[in-house]
Amino acid sequence: MRRAAFLAVVLIALVLRPAAAKPAASPCMSRIGQHVVLYSVSDDPQVFVFDTKIRLRDYHAASVDEMQEIAKHAWLVAPGTRAMIVTCEPGFVQSPYFSRPDDAIGVLLLTGSHRGHTGWVLGSDVRGVYHDIHR
Amino acid sequence: MTAFLVVVLYVAIQGSFQTRARISDTFSRQSTIERSQIELEELLRLEIDEQNSLRGYLLTRDPFYVEQYRAAAAGFDARIATIRRALQAQQLGTALQALDQYGALQVQWRKKIAMPLLAHPGTDITDLDKSNKIFSDYENEVVDSVRSDLADTSAALAASTKAQLIRSAYSRALWLFAFGLLAIVLNAFRTRLYRELEQEKNTTEVLQRAFRSEFVPLPNCDVGSAYLSAGSHVAVGGDVFDVYRLSDELALVLIADVSGKGVDAAVLTAFIKFTIRGIALRRREPGAILAEFNTAFAQTVENPYLFVSMFVGVLDTQTFQLRYASAGHDSAFVRRSTNEVQQLSVTGPVLGVMEEPFGTRTLNLEPGDTLVLATDGLTEARKRSGEQLREAGAMRLIERASEQPQLLADELAAQVRVLGGNRLRDDLAILAIRVLPGSGADA
Repeated sequence: MRRAAFLAVVLIALVLRPAAAKPAASPCMSRIGQHVVLYSVSDDPQVFVFDTKIRLRDYHAASVDEMQEIAKHAWLVAPGTRAMIVTCEPGFVQSPYFSRPDDAIGVLLLTGSHRGHTGWVLGSDVRGVYHDIHR
Repeated sequence: MTAFLVVVLYVAIQGSFQTRARISDTFSRQSTIERSQIELEELLRLEIDEQNSLRGYLLTRDPFYVEQYRAAAAGFDARIATIRRALQAQQLGTALQALDQYGALQVQWRKKIAMPLLAHPGTDITDLDKSNKIFSDYENEVVDSVRSDLADTSAALAASTKAQLIRSAYSRALWLFAFGLLAIVLNAFRTRLYRELEQEKNTTEVLQRAFRSEFVPLPNCDVGSAYLSAGSHVAVGGDVFDVYRLSDELALVLIADVSGKGVDAAVLTAFIKFTIRGIALRRREPGAILAEFNTAFAQTVENPYLFVSMFVGVLDTQTFQLRYASAGHDSAFVRRSTNEVQQLSVTGPVLGVMEEPFGTRTLNLEPGDTLVLATDGLTEARKRSGEQLREAGAMRLIERASEQPQLLADELAAQVRVLGGNRLRDDLAILAIRVLPGSGADA
């Protein structure tokens, strides 16, 4: 009887251990294939679309001069440009100025002069259904 | 105990004022930070005004927008200086640093973006768009940092105010509890003391009444007396007087005041009265009576702080010659039939202090003359102003008093009561002996 109880405890511990050790990750709020509109919340509503998610992240943690350099690898698209979400990295963009990490969103531009190109934008630059979910 | 109560009260009051000052200071800081938060939003509006005015000018070439741009820029500079001062006063280093960065960025934006465009409005703005966006993004991030710092500080101050209020409430309750508890203890202590004092006073008064003489009538003389006890909060004193017939002609006249109070003093008055009577039956010389009593007193009473002032007189009721000795007792007067009042001199030190001889004086009384003896309750009676009556004042009262000795004693006692506002600080004994007019040689 005692042995059975001991085995039960060990089994429960083994079952629970991986679940407890696994870090709690906040899920990405975007859905692949979702159609969205790009619009920046900063004073200038145009949106930078970066060629890599690394540059997107670095841009938001950089000084003004560094930003100038990094921005050479980005397109500036007009507010209201339509796009489709192709991928998402939850909490990838971290900055000393952000109160919490933001998502890096991979988009396929559907309108504007860069139509047909893909790039990376900040989670907070994405409007539409995505933004509604975020709120 | 009372001192501790006062300290508790002082600390409680002082603590309340300190808490009030601290909370007031925190409120003031919070208010300054809230104002800075509003100013910061206004600053952002001015920054956007600058950008929009620039865009307006590039699209229309209307100089009106240039004016708008300049006004917004001037407003921005003035506003940022105001916020800067507020942050400096509140010593918000991080926010101040970010604000300076924001100001520097705006200057940089004007130099790199705004000025070239204002100078050459025809320039293709596509090239400048990216730079403008970068400035905008960066400024936004910096302002977010200032905003967050101010919000954090404001929240911290609000929490601090709340904590101070809670602490103050608990602290006040604690001090009030301590004060109340002490007051209750003190009151109980005081009540007990008063009860004990009242019991002692009652005992003493019973003793004094028992020891006070029922005067035997003296030939050719009329005797009056009065006795007043001090207030209920003061222990009964050791005042004593006596008129005692030593023989058919001679009478002993005594008044004394024991320095202490309470039952001990009352018992001592009995000792004085009967000892003096005993000595006077053997010795007729008042100075000798005092000297013998002084020796007996020193041997009987062990308390070195007790002493007695005493007036002893031996009155011949036929010749009206008074031989007296006064051991430091200066409240002895004679009122002549002419209404002139004289003070009888002291002939030696108070009893119980030193071995000194006591002189004897002779005073020849005439019919109509009144001997007035009192204790220091008369001469040391205080007016409401605090001023003492002294000997001169006592003599004036005696001069104005009635001739009949009992009336005289009652009037003097009443005057003393009125002077002190019906509150007596000390007991008062008065003895008045008047040689009846038409008696003795006149008869």
